[in-house]
Amino acid sequence: MRTIARLTLGAAGTGALLWLASAALAGPEQVGYPDRYATGFVRYLTVDRPDRNVVRFFYVNPEALETATPGEDLPYGTVLVMEDHKARMVTSEQAVRDAQGRLIPTDEVTNVFVMEKREGFGEEYPPEKRNAEWEYAWFLPDGSRKADAEFDGCFACHLNRAGRDFTFTFYKYVLDEKG
Amino acid sequence: MRGITICAATLLAAVPVAAEEHVVRMAGQQYAPAAIEAFKGDSIRFVNDDETAHNVYVPTVGFGLDLGKQEPGEEQTMILGQRGAFEVECVLHPHMLLAVTVE
Repeated sequence: MRTIARLTLGAAGTGALLWLASAALAGPEQVGYPDRYATGFVRYLTVDRPDRNVVRFFYVNPEALETATPGEDLPYGTVLVMEDHKARMVTSEQAVRDAQGRLIPTDEVTNVFVMEKREGFGEEYPPEKRNAEWEYAWFLPDGSRKADAEFDGCFACHLNRAGRDFTFTFYKYVLDEKG
Repeated sequence: MRGITICAATLLAAVPVAAEEHVVRMAGQQYAPAAIEAFKGDSIRFVNDDETAHNVYVPTVGFGLDLGKQEPGEEQTMILGQRGAFEVECVLHPHMLLAVTVE
């Protein structure tokens, strides 16, 4: 009986270890801070976010931009960066607008969001959450990870762009520019 | 007669045209109308007369804009400050599309 109990515990322990090992393969820690994004990546889009007085710069690594094919899923190794800049303000609530009515970004970066696609990413997530082989990470301007970051919102929102390989902007950019 | 015609045309050209406000509704998870032809300086007022939240989003290069989450009953205004063509989507409902051309 003692032997059986030991065997059972042993099997359960092995299962738990396997689960822990697979869980360790998922999550934001899989995505590193892309040090060279500001100089080595291609800035392909700017989006005003007036309700937050933020201007968002969108970057992609040049290798992905070169190999991405219109209408097809994006290549492994694609790294997309969304960099939030504070907008220039007239008062604490009113932003400055340029001649076209657009916000004017300052050099002050508040957040750096990254999504990366690698073969095998996401295998541990349930289907109702999984964004194919994409993972997300949230960094502060100094490159450190945002300690209390939550990613359920990223997965949930990007899930409805499954037809564009889970991206809001880059898949469309490739379609518009290369298609 | 020819002189009068030219004079009238000149006068018409000189009269400033008031900016127009285009209204887009969202009931039934559809942008209505689905296409707008406007002039620079016009605006679009997005009225969420639907029963669910929406989020106006423009991913077109040169026109990128995110108006944020818009609850039922809320309105948001977009100023058309530059010429060109762009597409409006909804962050929450990918089938909602609006084509805008600004001259």
